Amino acid sequence: MNAAVPVFRRSRTSKAVDRLMRGVLWAIALLFVAVLILFVGAILKQGWPVLNLGFLTKMPETLDAGGGIKPQIFNSIYLVMLSLAISLPVGLGAGIYMAAYAGQGRALRFLRLCIETLAATPSIVLALFGMIVFVQAMGWSFSIRSGALTLALLNIPIITRVTEVSLLAVPQELREASYGLGATKLQTIFKVALPYAATGILTGLVLTAGRAFGESAILVFTAGTNASAQFPDFRLTVPGETLSVHLWYVTSDGTLPDAREIAAGTAAVMILVLLALNLLVRLVDRTIRRRTR
Amino acid sequence: MLIPTVPETKPIKLSVRDMAFSYGQKKILDGLSMDIHAERVTAIIGPSGCGKSTFLKCFNRIHEVSTDVKVSGDMQIDGVDIYRGGIDVVDLRRRVGMVFQKPNPFPKSIYENVAFGPRLFGVQDRTTLDGIVEDALRKAALWEEVKDRLKESATGMSGGQQQRLCIARALAVNPEVLLMDEPCSALDPIATAKIEDLIGELKESLTIVIVTHNMQQAARVSDYTAFFWLGKLVEMDLTERIFTTPRVQMTEDYITGRFG
Amino acid sequence: MPDAPEASIPAASQRGGYSAEARMDSPSAEAGVPAFRHSRLQRLADRWARLGFLACSLLVVGLIGGILFFLATRGLAAFLPLAGNTGRVLSFSEVFLSADWAPSSDRFGILPFIAGSLGVTGLALLIAAPAGVLTGVFIAKMAPAWMRNLMRQVMDLLVGIPSVVYGIFGLTVVLPLVSRTWLEDAPASGFAVSALILAVMIVPTIVSLSTDAFESLPSSLDEGAQALGSSRWQAIWRVLIPAARPRLLTATVLGLGRAIGEAMAVQMVIGNNPQWIALMRESTDRAPFLRALFTPAATLTTELVQELPNTAAGSTWNNVLFAMGLLLYLLTMVLILATRRLGRGREA
Repeated sequence: MNAAVPVFRRSRTSKAVDRLMRGVLWAIALLFVAVLILFVGAILKQGWPVLNLGFLTKMPETLDAGGGIKPQIFNSIYLVMLSLAISLPVGLGAGIYMAAYAGQGRALRFLRLCIETLAATPSIVLALFGMIVFVQAMGWSFSIRSGALTLALLNIPIITRVTEVSLLAVPQELREASYGLGATKLQTIFKVALPYAATGILTGLVLTAGRAFGESAILVFTAGTNASAQFPDFRLTVPGETLSVHLWYVTSDGTLPDAREIAAGTAAVMILVLLALNLLVRLVDRTIRRRTR
Repeated sequence: MLIPTVPETKPIKLSVRDMAFSYGQKKILDGLSMDIHAERVTAIIGPSGCGKSTFLKCFNRIHEVSTDVKVSGDMQIDGVDIYRGGIDVVDLRRRVGMVFQKPNPFPKSIYENVAFGPRLFGVQDRTTLDGIVEDALRKAALWEEVKDRLKESATGMSGGQQQRLCIARALAVNPEVLLMDEPCSALDPIATAKIEDLIGELKESLTIVIVTHNMQQAARVSDYTAFFWLGKLVEMDLTERIFTTPRVQMTEDYITGRFG
Repeated sequence: MPDAPEASIPAASQRGGYSAEARMDSPSAEAGVPAFRHSRLQRLADRWARLGFLACSLLVVGLIGGILFFLATRGLAAFLPLAGNTGRVLSFSEVFLSADWAPSSDRFGILPFIAGSLGVTGLALLIAAPAGVLTGVFIAKMAPAWMRNLMRQVMDLLVGIPSVVYGIFGLTVVLPLVSRTWLEDAPASGFAVSALILAVMIVPTIVSLSTDAFESLPSSLDEGAQALGSSRWQAIWRVLIPAARPRLLTATVLGLGRAIGEAMAVQMVIGNNPQWIALMRESTDRAPFLRALFTPAATLTTELVQELPNTAAGSTWNNVLFAMGLLLYLLTMVLILATRRLGRGREA
């Protein structure tokens, strides 16, 4: 043995530090679990006394207590659907282009940069854009159509990204098999690649719906803070206050005597919807994975 | 380069003249010339990395799907240059079918896998499709095994069945040439024997080019054998001659296992 | 064309008669087998589809430019005598270098909002960046499988919760709690609670990106370090974190972007006081540290939410608010370009 080499033994401090840091990491992770449970628990607990059929099916009040959130529920669903209908074709198209046509060069890098920038643009900035273009320049004022179009801007980068990623995950062998049979590029995309990528895209779509459902900044400035007095009102030209906007508005406006209760109930409804969407994603994921196996 | 000087009654289906293939700065194939006869099985052997799979993929231009490459020289099918401008690549691939190294069935039912090709070309009539599917599965010697479970997922089949399904899928669009890229490398000996029998039957009506790393297989199934080394064609001849009296020393060394 | 060796192939002589150009296009029909040809429509669709997909992509590119253009027409109106501008033309310095915000007295210094945004974002990052990176390394390299799954689900849920719900939680749970426990019932709105809420909102972004960063490191790094006898933590601290650093920085920058652009949640808890700098400086009732954390303040985004509905389009006030929006958008672009820089550093 070489006498110059000391005996390397783990020092006691290094062992202690290791044990300590393992503990710290576990603690941080568990803290987040606790925060989530506390959060969801508190929201549901506050909202629970308010949640009843009347609250969900009554029209809102403007000055008195006891109003419901029926039109806001409708507007939330309506706006999410409309915005998805607008953004899905665009997002799919752009995602397909990036995955299948753009190659590997500069064009792809530039497109990615644009998608990332749009995805990172704060929703308040999108709101300003929607306000300038749709609300003011087009003269559509605060309306469902202004809101749906601006909300679509929020969805497009997410759908594009999800489509691109899901398509890139399609095994090369399957694409080659399709081309080998004489399929055109378009046929390969629609008959082989998209069906294979459907799970990923569908999951992404549900998550996008969740984000659009919770969005408020955009809608305050484009769809407005009023709900139509008719129900159901499918017109695209009327203001369409959603649940999230309603939650914000009653809280900051403060004219309702029971603003607190309304806000708590609305928050609980939103959390329940999002939990349901989350569960839906898991179910879709699991059933499709089982079916293709 | 040596080309067989035997009397051959079958016409030349594919011909290659002075063909080179480069990927970026790298030359993968260089100075290749050969003729491939219709209704014959031509095997391509050589150590891995010699460019034999790449060569195969040039016949239906499938390499263009994933990479940006340059092919020079002349490759013809029935005397028509397949790299000529204005050639319909999609139609070329329909005529020149391919079976890949790893079975790659679509995650669909057995029936849908075979019907996929015909559907691409707008065949929708159910009875016509049924006929094509049965015919292709029979040609691929798979019909008896799967006729009662056509609706089941193809991904649940054994590897050998999957590969025969892929052959059936390729046959369903009525190709003239079948390229096989080490079709048995992922299969067990019994499944391999079935595929080899099948190759013997298919050559009645098809031109088959098979790449294999297994020399016994080349000896068993092929009429002609071409030996590739480092992107060049060393020797091509009747299979029995290649394996008994090769004219190039390097071929003999490879076949007798002295290198590669 | 045929040279000597070719001529020696008997079959070669047949080639002339066999090869017919027309064959390439003729269906090789056997009896009963349909001719497999793509319909005209199918071919046209294949040719034009590319353009359709390209159009979708170009729309996205156009949006980036469009947003910039429209925000600029309104935001720059504060500084340039553009058409339709009814407000006063301001100088850059009286907007960006002044802390004096008194729109009703025609003074438009937005420094309080810039400082507010930076302050609350910085504080949030101070919490979220270390917690996020450590959680990332925990998920990627330490947690057992069940915990990994649990953490993924927790992060998915945290990122999915709407900002207004975060806001109402802050307003009805955190603010009263902090006020009761530490401030003797004095109001608790200000940087501290806003930053705390923001930290929880951006942590999922940082966690998921840093988990990816750690998972994409070659396992040889980790194995090598541990084979030399380093403890789990030593391997993480001395090898894995330095190796993943460019991507961890990217994760932090993207978290920063999310935090600085968040509007509603912060607006609900920060107190919305544009005069916060003066208030923080002048009030003497609390220790400076507490004052810094719990003085009602305002940021670029909260001020937009607060005041945009109350201003007339084209007025000086309104123009300055759009200038703040433009600033936020430019900031986003700078941050995204910064992540590109960091990414390039990774490849080098």
